[in-house]
Amino acid sequence: MPESTESKGIVRRVAEIIIEELKLEDVTPDTFKPDMDLVDELGIDSMDLATIALVLQDEYKIVIDEDDYPRLKTVRLICAYIEEKLAAKQ
Amino acid sequence: MKTVSSLLDPLWYERYKRISNLNIRSSIYDVTNRCNLRCKGCFFFSSGEHHVQEETDLKKWEAFIDREKARGVNLAILIGGEPTLCMDRVEAFYKRIPSYCATNGLIKVPRDRFPDMMVGISLWGGGEDEKILRGKDTFAISSRNYEGDPYTYYLYTVTPKQVGRIEPVIKRIADVGLKVHLQLLSNDEGVDGFHWHEGELRDLRVEMDEMLERYPQTVISSKYYHEVITTGMMLGRRFGWRECPSVTESLDNRQPPVRRLIHFYRWAADLKTVHRCCTSATRDCATCKDGAAHMSWIMVNKRDHIISTRDLQNWIEVYEMFAKLYRLIPW
Repeated sequence: MPESTESKGIVRRVAEIIIEELKLEDVTPDTFKPDMDLVDELGIDSMDLATIALVLQDEYKIVIDEDDYPRLKTVRLICAYIEEKLAAKQ
Repeated sequence: MKTVSSLLDPLWYERYKRISNLNIRSSIYDVTNRCNLRCKGCFFFSSGEHHVQEETDLKKWEAFIDREKARGVNLAILIGGEPTLCMDRVEAFYKRIPSYCATNGLIKVPRDRFPDMMVGISLWGGGEDEKILRGKDTFAISSRNYEGDPYTYYLYTVTPKQVGRIEPVIKRIADVGLKVHLQLLSNDEGVDGFHWHEGELRDLRVEMDEMLERYPQTVISSKYYHEVITTGMMLGRRFGWRECPSVTESLDNRQPPVRRLIHFYRWAADLKTVHRCCTSATRDCATCKDGAAHMSWIMVNKRDHIISTRDLQNWIEVYEMFAKLYRLIPW
């Protein structure tokens, strides 16, 4: 199924937040690979995830449970998680 | 953008993946205020951390440990005092959470009750230094208690007086079929002649590297750890209060926030009081030589090591060292 415009927007915004919060260099939201494993490739750890989660919670007005961190392995999976949380709110 | 796989060959990448998802949540527990030794330089007694009313009701310990498990702790580091004076409390931890028991080795942890609990025996050098600092040569007893035990290693706290004299100690440990990990004395009680000087630290680093090369089956360590603990420097940063990751979460008000061990606490034996950090609040962080704190400092700064192949390999080796010390990966 093709990705919706809304999903694309979230993917881009999540990539932007990760780049900004982790101060990543040589990458933009457009060149960030949404399926790249954030732990295995980028080396992020639970403290990084907690930092990112705080920003996402503020941005999307959702609660991200620490037990869910293992699910947040890629930008695309984070996007799916956010959409799931937003849908549950409606 | 530098990625892990762009810096590592397939073999190193596999080593990285083996440890990258371990997700360790450790905390430290004073199991008791009592000890069967009184060592000069022991931060527990010199800082007065033993002045709390020890909880003696085992049920309360069990309920407390259940709460700690629910809090997400998956590695309980049991210290004291001497934990083996209260085996029932140690057992309460062991039955609920993967546990590590730090002991002076004078009392044997019965392996029928604790078949695979990791045990770390403190050792402060050769026989003479042990007598000066601890009142007796504990090795003679601890090595008899634990000879060949596959879940035990010595935590050898090297003092300035032992620089150039480490090898006989390592050899004694190898001869009884045990492993050893090295850290440095912080001399909390200012014992004469036990302060570190730059030259000694430089010489010690060389000596520790040599021991690792000569006794690879016995010494659990890494050269990068030796560099960081003897220089107090990592990637151009100096260890101290602004950098230490092993601070109790509820007491950590540092701003901006510091990279730290997630949900780390150090609990006193009353099960209510928390101590500042993994050592004592009276210790000057600028001169702290605690091995675990330095190791954790490296470990929580993973992404800062994703700058070159050598830096990332250094980080992997330190993380592997930690994982081996708690048998999260095989020796």
